[in-house]
Amino acid sequence: MPELSAPPPAEDRLVLLPKNPGTFFVFWQFSASRADAFHSSSFASEIELRLSYSDDNSQAGAHRAPWQAGRAYLPAGRGGGCVAALYALRNGAWEKLLESNQAFAPAPAGMAADRAYASMEFLKRAQP
Amino acid sequence: MSSRGSLMFLLHAHLPYVNHPQDSAFLEESWFFEAVVETYVPLISVLERLSAEGIRPGVTISISPTLGAMLENEALERKLGIYVESRLELLEKELERAKDDPALLKIVQLYHALYAEAAELLHKYSGDLITPLKALQHAGQIEIITTAATHAVLPLLARPEAVRAQLAVAAEDYQDRFNRKAAGFWLPECAYEPRLNSYLKLSGFDYTFMESHAVEAAGEQAPNGVYSPYRTSNGLGLFARDAASSREVWSAKFGYPGDPAYREFYRDYGYDGDLEYLKPYLGNDGARRPLGLKYHRITGPGADLAAKQYYDPDEALARVEAHATDFLDRRQRQTDDFYADRGGRPLIVSCYDAELFGHWWFEGPAFLEAVIRRIRTERLPLQFVTPTEYLNSCQEPQEIAPGMSSWGENGYFDPWVNESNDFIYPAVYAATDKMIETANRFRNQDLNSLATRALNQAARETLLSQSSDWAFLLYIGSHSDYAKGRLEDHSANALRLLGEVIEKRVDEQALAALERKNNLFPRIDFRIFASVSKF
Repeated sequence: MPELSAPPPAEDRLVLLPKNPGTFFVFWQFSASRADAFHSSSFASEIELRLSYSDDNSQAGAHRAPWQAGRAYLPAGRGGGCVAALYALRNGAWEKLLESNQAFAPAPAGMAADRAYASMEFLKRAQP
Repeated sequence: MSSRGSLMFLLHAHLPYVNHPQDSAFLEESWFFEAVVETYVPLISVLERLSAEGIRPGVTISISPTLGAMLENEALERKLGIYVESRLELLEKELERAKDDPALLKIVQLYHALYAEAAELLHKYSGDLITPLKALQHAGQIEIITTAATHAVLPLLARPEAVRAQLAVAAEDYQDRFNRKAAGFWLPECAYEPRLNSYLKLSGFDYTFMESHAVEAAGEQAPNGVYSPYRTSNGLGLFARDAASSREVWSAKFGYPGDPAYREFYRDYGYDGDLEYLKPYLGNDGARRPLGLKYHRITGPGADLAAKQYYDPDEALARVEAHATDFLDRRQRQTDDFYADRGGRPLIVSCYDAELFGHWWFEGPAFLEAVIRRIRTERLPLQFVTPTEYLNSCQEPQEIAPGMSSWGENGYFDPWVNESNDFIYPAVYAATDKMIETANRFRNQDLNSLATRALNQAARETLLSQSSDWAFLLYIGSHSDYAKGRLEDHSANALRLLGEVIEKRVDEQALAALERKNNLFPRIDFRIFASVSKF
């Protein structure tokens, strides 16, 4: 998996982006001090991402990942507006560290799958 | 004959900003040179020729701000001139080499004419191809619209300030380039989400385009499907892309461009010719690369590249005429069917990447000319309209709430968010968030000239990091290292400049080098990234 050669950010960040009707993409970044807290085992090594619906705050799903993973794909549940939150485990209790922006999952449209980006047929053919 | 329906042709012209003034020959700059010679010059020639004959083209062209800046960049214009001269020099040699091979000679003559036409048009307009486009718009022959400043996929910009900056910079850029307000906005990748309505309207745009399933998602609100314009609750005009007319032109498999008589894109003389003979025309590394001289035709479905036959321009032109006839027959059937069903006159909106015409589909400009000419000369009951003309003449469009969508593979955002490219987003947001934070911090402060320049350049670098092109190139596996490097550079440049301003230690020499290289949006004001309540 390619990575960018960027220094750790000065602040923590959790961003939720739409991908398709069934999936959100989420990524997170930790500042050096927060990363140190994970390195020193102040937090458990696994974080939990909780997706909730914006309209009623009910939970749409949860996903666990190593804190260094930095990104994940989350099922969008019933779709609509959602917010993600990142939790870490400290002393046996889940602690909310970050909350994302609100993002909207597209509503599925019957014909959408047929709308393949036709230029891909040109671009994806093999070069000699 | 009175019109039974209207056709709206939109050509979206866009290239990522590629400008490497420190290099005499930079591989990715050839994207621009090839697009100019193969697409923009032939399209301008078609539009000027039709216009001169009294046939109003009536097409709409979206010119991205990055492409517009490249078309006006004097260093790129100089390199373009050298590129065209170099190809003409090679083609002179090719004419000699092909003199005893009539089939090859015919093709070489065609390419010679193509490059000579480019040289002539560039000379006529002193290298600036915005000039003829502006003149065509001024004369009412075409309508030119804009798109996001650096072609960001707007639903993937989670920060309102970033969306506002992409739109406001685009609007200002258009005003500066075309001396008028932009009425229309092409959503990059046709990517729409409802929150964009207010941003577009507040940025001064009257209408936009979207993919057909955005309108289909509106269900009974949109009884005419894609065959009618609509409006959002805040009065933004909406046009939906017609999938059928697009597919006939877009699809290499099922559409016209896959015809066996048409030119084969992937067999290029740069890989076929004698290496020593070609060396002066390759890059500084002397490695084989595409030269844009493609002497073969598609020949047949699945034909091996080595088995391709020579291209026959006359045979291809005959197919162009047949395909133009077929295209118009199908549009008339569409309008007839709609009229029979609904008793009204449909609007068929056909949207394409401009670079399809000429670059990918070599015969595309001739096809476009044949379609426009036939409607006029054969007095077909169809008329070409531009969006502004249509909105000015139609009844108040019905209000709908379209759905999120794009014209990307599968209809949403998969090509720009997937495991091949998702690693870029932390860098994009690191630059974007820092830019917003710094703009808020300094928005009301009196800054010295150097700090202001650094902040303005940081704004350019931030916008460039948001371009859709880096994610797309990574997805298709083409020029991946370049895309990754560009994204890294723009994000790092923005963060470094912002840090230097905060720490009051701006490196003027490094700043000046960046201003020379990433020198688009000359009037940008970093405050465009500041948070405002009305959005």
